[in-house]
Amino acid sequence: MIDYTQKIREIAARLLKEGTVDMVIGFRKGTVPMMNEPCFIRKPEEADRLVWDSHCGINLANYLYDRKEKIGVVAKGCDSRNIVTHIVENKIKREQVHVIGVPCTGMADKRRIGALSEKDGEIREVSEKEGRITVKGDSFTKTFEKKEVLQDNCTTCLHRNPVIHDEMIAEPVEEQTGIDPFEDVKRIEALSPEEKRAYFQGLVADCIRCYACRNACPLCYCPTCFVDESRPQWVGKSIDPTDTMTFHFLRAYHCAGRCTDCGACERACPVGIRVRQFTKKLNKDCVELFDWEAGLTLDERPPLDTYRPQDPNDFIK
Amino acid sequence: MKWIKIEKEDFPRGLKALAETYQCLGPVKGEKYHDFKVLDENRPPDFDFLNTPLSPKFLVEPQSEILFEYTLDEKKEDAHILKEAQKDLPPRLVVGIRPCDAAAFLLVKRNFDTEKYKDPYWVRAYEALTLFGLACQTPCAACFCTTAGGGPFDEAGLDALMVDAGDHFLVKILTEKGEAACNTAGWENVVEEKAALDAAALLKETAESKIASTVETDNLKQQSTTALYDAPFWEEVSFSCINCGTCTYVCPTCWCFDIQDECYGCSGVRMRNWDSCMYPLFTLHGSGHNPRGTKLHRVRQRFMHKLKYYVDKYDDGIQCVGCGRCVVSCPVNIDIRRVCNLMNALPDPSTVCPV
Amino acid sequence: MTHIGIEPGRLQFSWISSAEATKFVDVVKDVTDAIRALGPNTHFVKTLPKVA
Repeated sequence: MIDYTQKIREIAARLLKEGTVDMVIGFRKGTVPMMNEPCFIRKPEEADRLVWDSHCGINLANYLYDRKEKIGVVAKGCDSRNIVTHIVENKIKREQVHVIGVPCTGMADKRRIGALSEKDGEIREVSEKEGRITVKGDSFTKTFEKKEVLQDNCTTCLHRNPVIHDEMIAEPVEEQTGIDPFEDVKRIEALSPEEKRAYFQGLVADCIRCYACRNACPLCYCPTCFVDESRPQWVGKSIDPTDTMTFHFLRAYHCAGRCTDCGACERACPVGIRVRQFTKKLNKDCVELFDWEAGLTLDERPPLDTYRPQDPNDFIK
Repeated sequence: MKWIKIEKEDFPRGLKALAETYQCLGPVKGEKYHDFKVLDENRPPDFDFLNTPLSPKFLVEPQSEILFEYTLDEKKEDAHILKEAQKDLPPRLVVGIRPCDAAAFLLVKRNFDTEKYKDPYWVRAYEALTLFGLACQTPCAACFCTTAGGGPFDEAGLDALMVDAGDHFLVKILTEKGEAACNTAGWENVVEEKAALDAAALLKETAESKIASTVETDNLKQQSTTALYDAPFWEEVSFSCINCGTCTYVCPTCWCFDIQDECYGCSGVRMRNWDSCMYPLFTLHGSGHNPRGTKLHRVRQRFMHKLKYYVDKYDDGIQCVGCGRCVVSCPVNIDIRRVCNLMNALPDPSTVCPV
Repeated sequence: MTHIGIEPGRLQFSWISSAEATKFVDVVKDVTDAIRALGPNTHFVKTLPKVA
């Protein structure tokens, strides 16, 4: 990972120096353990601000649109898929971005690591080496295999390597195979309607309607979100359970066929709601009904904005 | 000042006695985190927590609160009358609230309970509280209360301060409300003040030494407002912001709300919900114009309010108690400590050569 | 919708041409019968806000 940081700095400095891009968007070292902050640099000499480690889970595709500059962006597999989605949806032009591809071995789940160290005390420091993550507190040191503490979406990720890139910082990593990404969805599908309702109501019970999930999502770029509309007002703004549920499931619908399961929503949630349980069902449907995974190609329209004669229509009576 | 001693094993008995008079609340360990909840025998307080991710401000200002209600049903006597919502507000005792959160109530009080204006909902809910603070002996890495005008053993805003002394709590009774609650609980084991003070002072010193992070605020008041407003760092500070409401919602001192009307059938309510200056909607005018149209505007506003406008208006420190919640919860790691230090250290523009 | 707990059958889709009057009538009958059999919907119904 240290090599990754070095390589990113070299590339960023070169791109800025050569004038290939006006700015590079990447991560700088965070102020709290297991967090890095998205940042931009405009000068080659600022390149040493950039870092890369297992705490770069935020999706940088979220920072690309509505900008005029030519942008270099550091992108892992999921970020690159969202860049593809942006291009397909005309949010950015391919030539406006220079994708610095990062082969990714998954991002660490700070909540999982926090929970595993809860009894020991607060984590004050974190470091990683050779696939292991070590956390330190006042009176403890603990080492985890990185693959044991990945973000949930990373454990089932099938596209760790960027799908588009202008240059790569390293050789591609091996893709994970033999994984069923939808095991959890299938478990919910097997429940009765009552159980499903109870499950999802329980899921969002703690929601504080801060919209961190929505705003961390690169797909949620609507100028005015349906929950913010007041004429007409589609959904109430209080924490009434029906309104909260409406927000979550309708937002998921808006991501259908577009979601790359990057995990940004879940990572951003301050109260630890497993927001992806909404979007994952639609991802599964897209695979089963349209053989579609979002953001893999620039050459094909997404299933929900195109018609094909073979589209399934058994649900229409 | 009176100090008493409560054996930890006596604590549940006291709480049970208190429950006759008070609705008792405290930190409860949930599936994911600790949160302030109503206590009962099956839901005891758990004082082994770092800081609750959500501040207890909702005890006084719930996230959504109905203020008025009406009905148009003419079969009812009070049809067409907008009435204040009737609330059941029993005396409430909060055990284990952190000094930073109690101090935050005092800070918010400045806004909701003044000579000129009183927010009846806030004032009533606040006055119904008796706050039994728990001195903070395990401050978090993101805590900076000691440089935000408070401290882990701070007494401001509390009715009693409990100090965990191993198998018992040493409790300093600070107000009549605190005294009354102790009497109700049967906690009357008075200890000698000098000994209690000494024991507490030692623990306090240890706790304060554990607070590793600080903010510099000494210069904020004399900084020029326009210079801060035009400071060069805002683009860099606000870049990563996603404009969610997390920082403002977890903050114990953020007080902004939005009024909403909702109706169903022939009845309706007027309620208020927490609002956030991070949302574009917060300042959107009816005309469609938005004076804080970009995230730079909004991020700047949050920090300028807390660290400059408030400082200038009240001349009593920053509008922040240093609980560190926004630092920890921000999905993109925007850190108020960093921003505060940037603001504090901004060079005086009159001494900087404009190149 | 069924995934979050709406009973199967409560949400139905039909494709009816403006020329298919009889199909329209049949579908309306079938749907109303099916929904009546399920009874009134009590889930995800927005009433006055259930808040403090």
